[in-house]
Amino acid sequence: MRTLRRSPTGLKDAAVDLRGVTRLFGAAPALVRVDLAIERGEAVVLRGPNGAGKSTLLRIVATALSPTYGGGSVLGFDLAEAPEEIRRRSELLTHRTRLYEELTARENLELFADLLGIHHDLVHGALERMALADVADERVRTFSAGMRQKVAVARVIVRDPELLLLDEPTIGLDDAARTAVDEMMLHASREGRTLVIATHQAVALGLAARVVTLRDGYVEAGS
Amino acid sequence: MTLAHQATLIARKDLLIEVRGRHAVGTLVPFAATVLVSFGFAFGPGRDLLERVAPGLLWMAVLFSAVMASRRAYQTESEDGALEGLLLAPIDKAAVFLGKAFAVTVELLALVVVVLLLVIVLFDLSVANPFLLLAAFVLGAIGLAAVGSLFGVVAESARTREAVFPLLVLPLVAPVLIAGVRATDLAAAGRSSEVLSWLGLLAAFDVVFLSVGVLVFGYLLED
Repeated sequence: MRTLRRSPTGLKDAAVDLRGVTRLFGAAPALVRVDLAIERGEAVVLRGPNGAGKSTLLRIVATALSPTYGGGSVLGFDLAEAPEEIRRRSELLTHRTRLYEELTARENLELFADLLGIHHDLVHGALERMALADVADERVRTFSAGMRQKVAVARVIVRDPELLLLDEPTIGLDDAARTAVDEMMLHASREGRTLVIATHQAVALGLAARVVTLRDGYVEAGS
Repeated sequence: MTLAHQATLIARKDLLIEVRGRHAVGTLVPFAATVLVSFGFAFGPGRDLLERVAPGLLWMAVLFSAVMASRRAYQTESEDGALEGLLLAPIDKAAVFLGKAFAVTVELLALVVVVLLLVIVLFDLSVANPFLLLAAFVLGAIGLAAVGSLFGVVAESARTREAVFPLLVLPLVAPVLIAGVRATDLAAAGRSSEVLSWLGLLAAFDVVFLSVGVLVFGYLLED
């Protein structure tokens, strides 16, 4: 169901428009009454100490978690009523790569391409772009953490989502893998995609138009 | 893309992982063989007794193996957050359930061939009507796989999933165990007309749990 609503900041068709979002894990609050509006095409960085609620916020926007209270819309679709439409247009990239170890890099990407009805040519192109063509037919369990993350980034390239949600995507990566992630973010931003990134790196890249600071589940600044 | 096509992709992925990981060969077959031999020792050398209990032992071995195979099907999903990837993929979630159930069914039927040969050799089980026996195992394997695939995703969210999963599954599959043992016993004795009612019970069980799985799996997969 497409629901165009005016956001707290007055955006008519915001990419992300959260209103009063609270998320509890048991009795412990991870997010408290968060209002957040992000324009289409905007790159926003989420900052805050560990446990501030950055990952929870990204996972709610990605519809991997539902808010305990409050709600909102993503890309014009209601979080509660049309999660599949949001999933069709967004991608969440975290340090967990969601790859199958016994499948090769190519098989992992082709599986998702097949499930999403994407042509295999795009898989080949993404593997080339991430400099994975030589190892594309090797099983992922033989890959280092950095190479796995590059495969996950290749999956993002294959999907080319409208909204890209990145949760510390470069954590623990070597320079080459970090550069690959950075280049993908820059390319996506140039192409007018909306990016929400929980990291400190993007600020240094000059990618972010806005920084939203979270602390103890509250938005401290930048909403 | 149709539900059947998506389910086929999930099943193919699961079977490929199983073949490459050699879980069935390395774990399930030795486990089932150990169960049979242990029970054989426990009951002693009396040939009449062993022949009488052979159908029960056969199905106990298949049942325990089904629990292990179903758990394994979700272990591969949880290793690097892949289950969340399936949740966030814009696909029919029933396809995940059907694909997993189909893959586990194939694994169980492959196991049945080995276990049945062992029982024939060790316990001198003679089978007067092999076609009815085959029908009992196909229907039984589908039922076990359906319950295991449905509750595997429930157990995945539990902290003590290794203990919770058998507690959820074993009581529910009691009808499969009872009907399977009776059908095997009667098929072995050549009492074909009496087997059909037990096959009917197995088929009804399959229809119920496959239908429930298709209807509720998506809700169970959500947080």
